[in-house]
Amino acid sequence: MSENIYITEERIDGADDGPLAGTTVAVKDNISTEGVRTTCGSRMLEEYVPPYDATVVKRLKDAGAIVVGKANMDEFGMGTTNETSYFGSVDNPAAPGHVPGGSSGGSAAAVAAGEADVALGTDTGGSIRCPAAFCGVVGIKPTYGLVSRYGLVAYGNSLEQIGPFANNVEDAAALLDVIAGSDERDATTRAEGDDATYAAAATGDVDGLTIGVPTELLEGADEGVVDTFWDAIADLEDRGAEYHEVSLPSVEHAVEAYYVIAMSEASSNLARFDGVRYGHSADAEGNWNETFAQTRKEGFGDEVKRRILLGTYALSAGYHDKYYKKAQDARAWVKQDFDEALSEADVLASPTMPVPPFELGESLDDPLQMYLADANTVPVNLADLPAISVPAGETDGLPVGLQLVGPAFGEERLIRAASALA
Amino acid sequence: MTAQTVQQGDLVTVIGLEVHVQLETDTKIFCGCSTEQTDEPNENVCPVCLGLPGALPVLNEAAVEAAVKIGKAIDADIPEETRFHRKNYYYPDLPKNFQITQYDEPICADGDLEVAVEGDRRTVTIERAHLEEDPGSLQHVGGGGGIDSADYTRVDYNRAGTPLMEIVTAPDFRSPSEVRAFLAELEEVLEYLGVFDAERDGSLRIDANLSIIPEAEIESGDVTDIGADALAAANRTEVKNISSHKGAEKALAYEETRQKNAIQRGRAVEQETRHWDESRGITVSMRSKEEEKDYRYFEEADLPPLRVSGWKEEIAIPELPSARRERFQAEYGLNEEAASKLTSTKQVADFYEDVAGEFDPDLAATWVADNLLGELNYRDMDIVELEGRLEEVTRLVELVAEDEITAKNAHETVLRGMLDDGEAPDEIVEEEGLGKTDEDEVQQAVVEAIDENPDAVDDYESGDDGAINFLVGQVMQKTGGSADPGDVNQLLRAELEQ
Ligand SMILES: [Zn+2]
Repeated sequence: MSENIYITEERIDGADDGPLAGTTVAVKDNISTEGVRTTCGSRMLEEYVPPYDATVVKRLKDAGAIVVGKANMDEFGMGTTNETSYFGSVDNPAAPGHVPGGSSGGSAAAVAAGEADVALGTDTGGSIRCPAAFCGVVGIKPTYGLVSRYGLVAYGNSLEQIGPFANNVEDAAALLDVIAGSDERDATTRAEGDDATYAAAATGDVDGLTIGVPTELLEGADEGVVDTFWDAIADLEDRGAEYHEVSLPSVEHAVEAYYVIAMSEASSNLARFDGVRYGHSADAEGNWNETFAQTRKEGFGDEVKRRILLGTYALSAGYHDKYYKKAQDARAWVKQDFDEALSEADVLASPTMPVPPFELGESLDDPLQMYLADANTVPVNLADLPAISVPAGETDGLPVGLQLVGPAFGEERLIRAASALA
Repeated sequence: MTAQTVQQGDLVTVIGLEVHVQLETDTKIFCGCSTEQTDEPNENVCPVCLGLPGALPVLNEAAVEAAVKIGKAIDADIPEETRFHRKNYYYPDLPKNFQITQYDEPICADGDLEVAVEGDRRTVTIERAHLEEDPGSLQHVGGGGGIDSADYTRVDYNRAGTPLMEIVTAPDFRSPSEVRAFLAELEEVLEYLGVFDAERDGSLRIDANLSIIPEAEIESGDVTDIGADALAAANRTEVKNISSHKGAEKALAYEETRQKNAIQRGRAVEQETRHWDESRGITVSMRSKEEEKDYRYFEEADLPPLRVSGWKEEIAIPELPSARRERFQAEYGLNEEAASKLTSTKQVADFYEDVAGEFDPDLAATWVADNLLGELNYRDMDIVELEGRLEEVTRLVELVAEDEITAKNAHETVLRGMLDDGEAPDEIVEEEGLGKTDEDEVQQAVVEAIDENPDAVDDYESGDDGAINFLVGQVMQKTGGSADPGDVNQLLRAELEQ
């Protein structure tokens, strides 16, 4: 296996029978597995073995699934290419020599390479949809509150959700059926989705479906990507759907707002890694302050340090109102824009990523360019909405993904529409 | 301020408090771990209160209920919705390196508590009271044993996640004794509410801000109404590590004297944090001129806002000390002093009501407020130490009420014996032969005393009424003290008149 898909390849058996009996699953390495190390792609947690299972892992086991490995990822989910992993980058099975996308690159690559039937990833600003698009597979980012985050090592806790990858929409939906539903251990989960049946919704019936296309999400996108996108829309039209253009004026602030919020939350979420209770501990002499500073210096990579520093700054007295509070205001506008656009359309469609997969090593030196690649995915996290990325075709032999966004807890509608394409 | 111009007697002490109280709940505030204290460190812990990666807090509504009870008792405003924030700082006893607390929407705002200070009733404003999680505890080992001098430090997370209420008062106190009275009243109220256990180690922690302001700078001329400008102009010290109301009075008296001495000698008072060293009885500087800490508060997204509108109406609280005090006066005809003593703790008041329900309320008041509390106080004991033995005290009152033993013997011999030797009242009465002698025996002793003391009888008959006391003493001696001196007096007179 040359792609470096797994950080830890270890089999965890589930129940003898259940809806996923015999199904193999790759689990992103920021989701806690009892007795199997959970590194978050970081040196900080290189030897950390959780004493408990995440709720989604417990549900996988109960459903009979077999976990086959802990999938590679950008360190703590911070990246768009999987190249910030302490355990090395992942090659894209669908486009060798290119990145698989991030941060759930290992999960998407596992499905694309046939290393696992399905996979779990996490999506804070596009970390499921981006690798799904780059690896030519299906990925679902659920509504915030549909899937329990208990056991997911937090990066941006107000933004992220665990979600499925699969080779087709129906299999992804079947995995969602197992992991979705309220959880008493996660106070942000809600009961709205408890009665939904996702796999049954994968009928491919788009007759009468209205699709809104936000013009802002096509601006500046790669030409080949845009062409592939319109081909897919035309395909849906042929099956009875109709589309019209809509506007999401606030999304021009979405990337800034997203990074301020995610980094602020990260600066606090990652504070617990001080070497006292678990994880990497520097062999430093001196007092506690010096020791924990050295631990964090050694344990975190550059991108993680960058985001912690920026987030700390954004929350600091004197800057809080200028950055963090403004970002929260922008988040409210984005939500409002989506509500309006979704009042005129059943779903919204755009290219998942404005660009095809980067070549390995291409984007490492320009973080800002990388952040901008998230322009189409981050607004959805700011709005807490569900989205799905399905393969739309290829440009120059590279996979292109189409993103559909629905109203809160509208996963069944997204699955019905997306299953017309994959 | 120009310290040199200040004369003695012109200075006003201003104190405000931040009081942390542990709330009594079965489980911690954000996880299911028990709050019970254990001997072994790190026993009552789980992924949540250890701050393991991926663990999430879930709010224990029992803690919110306890907070609402406090809010009701101090007549605070309770918002429609309450939410939590993160307070970010690094400390090894803090598992997540942030504390989940409340910031701009505390569960209680703008309450007050009435306190009796040297006979006057005063109202202390409580600006806010909010919920938060307790950190773990540190044990410094080896070396000098101090935070800077120990060889190493152990961390125990048993305490981490215990629900805390931080109660913040306005700078309403003008003396350390007022602070003590307030804290005693607050403890009493919390115990009445059943949300607090004063016996628990570390259940009460107090930080106090103290500043000294020249009376001349108070524009209103009223020391209870010090303007914001005068307050802001004075340097204040924050005294930490106070753990009882008695300790608060001592620490603040020390700090008050220290600051006044500095001012009177023309030295400036540093704005600083000081640590109360209970064993040495002094405050010591912890750090001076440190910049205000930036805790980078922001919303805790893992805990959705909790709607608490309506909780204030739905949650009942028991009768509070002040109301009970008034009722005792009206219902049992007690004076204010007795009523105050009898409501000083919930246990005392409950016990008094038990006794007063069975016997004469006045007799019950004498026995509980004077005899029992007096003897307990003398022994530095608390009524809670008599748990399980209160029925014995009731039995003792019964013996007095039924006239089976004298009040004097009951108090001096039986009650003291019960407290000192742990014996039951009937045992002591039996052993000491204190049972009141029957009338024949007393009558017999009266006749004997008259026969044996003709001189005293002569004196009595010639108008020396004092001689009767000598005869009473003789009868008491013969009956081993078990006769009632009043009865003996009457019997003697009757016999002598014949
Ligand atoms: Zn716990």
